[in-house]
Amino acid sequence: MEINNTFDPIDIAISGLHAQGKNIHMISSNVANAQVTDNGKGEPYRRVEAVFKSTEDDGLGGVTIDKIVTDSSEFPMILKPGHPDADANGYVAMPNIDLPIEMMNLTIATRVYQANVAVLKRYQKMIEVALELLK
Amino acid sequence: MSKTNNIIDFLDAGIKAESFRQKTIANNIANLETPDYRRYDVKFEELLAQAIDRSGKADLSEVKSELYQPKTTEVKGNGNDVNLESEVGQMVKNTIRHKMFIRLLSKKYRQLIEAINVK
Repeated sequence: MEINNTFDPIDIAISGLHAQGKNIHMISSNVANAQVTDNGKGEPYRRVEAVFKSTEDDGLGGVTIDKIVTDSSEFPMILKPGHPDADANGYVAMPNIDLPIEMMNLTIATRVYQANVAVLKRYQKMIEVALELLK
Repeated sequence: MSKTNNIIDFLDAGIKAESFRQKTIANNIANLETPDYRRYDVKFEELLAQAIDRSGKADLSEVKSELYQPKTTEVKGNGNDVNLESEVGQMVKNTIRHKMFIRLLSKKYRQLIEAINVK
């Protein structure tokens, strides 16, 4: 991608906002489903994660969510004999979600979102400074 | 209207198009959660570029801002494809363009005033 368009930095910052917005969407789904032992298919809820990809091959461009993948790590088993989803030994498979990790990811996503807003604002300021020359 | 290459006429057309686009963006944001709503955009620059001839003149009365639905953005679960972040981005770009046109216009007027005040 060549650097020739005045508005490219704006589009790039917006793509970052868009991607992180979706990322936060996924994190909130993980947090909300942290205790779901049955996802309707006889399995606990599986953690989802976003995979980011740059929109241009040579790297100078925005970001997009390439795909949404499920975390295939093992489900932790906890002893809950009375639970309807418990196995013969009384153990229930819980979703493979660690709330502290989700909260950490949420903080990162929020900070990246803020950083993109900062870039957008600063770029806007820069253009305004350039326009001052016309006064 | 005949063909013109007067900068004030071009700026006038540009400012009109930006005002129209600003309204369109506001409409998109208002319909952020309206089911089956597809976002609108304004086509102006492309039409202006087509209207400008070799000498740099254009008949601006022929260039009308066109409302269209790009239908390129991702559709959400309720059939709506408005994305708040992209609309904000569009608005930022629009504001910058608007500011630029206004500045150029006032600069042009100031030049005229200066020419009139020559004693």
